Amino acid sequence: MKITMVKKVFADGSPCKKCGEVEEKMRAAGQLQRIDRVVIADEANDQSEGMLLAAEHNIDRAPFFIVERDGQQTEIYTVYFRFVKEVLDSETSEEEEIAEIMNDNDLDFL
Amino acid sequence: MSALPNIVDIDTQLATQSPQEILRYALETFDNIAISFSGAEDVVLIDMAAKIRPDLQVFSLDTGRLHAQTYRFIEAVRKHYRIDIDIVMPEASKVEQLVKAKGLFSFYEDDHKECCGVRKIAPLRKQLLTVDAWITGQRRDQSPGTRAAVPVIQDDKAFARPDDSLTKFNPLANWTSKQVWDYIRDNNVPYNELHDQGFVSIGCEPCTRPTGPGQHEREGRWWWEEATKKECGLHAVNIAK
Ligand code: SF4
Repeated sequence: MKITMVKKVFADGSPCKKCGEVEEKMRAAGQLQRIDRVVIADEANDQSEGMLLAAEHNIDRAPFFIVERDGQQTEIYTVYFRFVKEVLDSETSEEEEIAEIMNDNDLDFL
Repeated sequence: MSALPNIVDIDTQLATQSPQEILRYALETFDNIAISFSGAEDVVLIDMAAKIRPDLQVFSLDTGRLHAQTYRFIEAVRKHYRIDIDIVMPEASKVEQLVKAKGLFSFYEDDHKECCGVRKIAPLRKQLLTVDAWITGQRRDQSPGTRAAVPVIQDDKAFARPDDSLTKFNPLANWTSKQVWDYIRDNNVPYNELHDQGFVSIGCEPCTRPTGPGQHEREGRWWWEEATKKECGLHAVNIAK
């Protein structure tokens, strides 16, 4: 299995806060060593590797994870807690999961 | 139920269609599909869907903080369309914990996320585990800043069951508030009496207020906070070199 993490850099060069938070969480949980490659999606450069990967897989959010397994279809994870559960076989708390859902999705219509 | 073949292609096809056509596609494609009804002008979805498929599954999130008028309206809709509406409630122990720790109006001091998390999102999540697809009244014009890209169909990864998929339909995404209200009047659709009192957007009682002329409807919700900014989007920006 090969895992690629794509993180974003804003057009002004500043790092994406959520990407940093996810990376920090993964570091604290010892999950970062499971990532084979970290690739940057530079919003100022649509030819950057991360932006090309985002376009190839129709992804419009960051960070995201590309999971390649021999003989299987490549899987893309844009939701961190799903990636942690389904790929890394680790647990996350319900509070964390709800916080992620609320941060990343516009649910104000509810 | 597995994922639809290609959500992006279907979105492109459906994007130019009417809400009724989008609803028909949704209701004919999925057996186990439910409408999320907030007790506001999204009643048009029920009116349209009832004409397509009478065995509708509808649910409403009862946060415990809705206006009395909204409860009356949900009941009126249930009777008018002769449908069951699942009233989905938060877990009592979680609400008790929150209220004990932070009181009944924590959202005015922190922000609305914690309370909405307990009272809306956790129960919604539980409810959505029981279906293959859901339908919302989300529209692009409700919050221009954050909803510029409301597709009519989405692969809803946030609420899907583990290792499964969930499809979300937003048939009203491309309609304006005026189109919704024209439909309500033209079809004699019942509506929440709060709309006649100046409420454009209707949510929980403590977090909703009427808006005046020229105000955006989002200003009637959580007005003490800045409109939510989502920074996880990925957009190429053209930089002048
Ligand atoms: S809208 Fe207000 S009262 Fe309702 S769940 Fe959210 S914060 Fe709580």
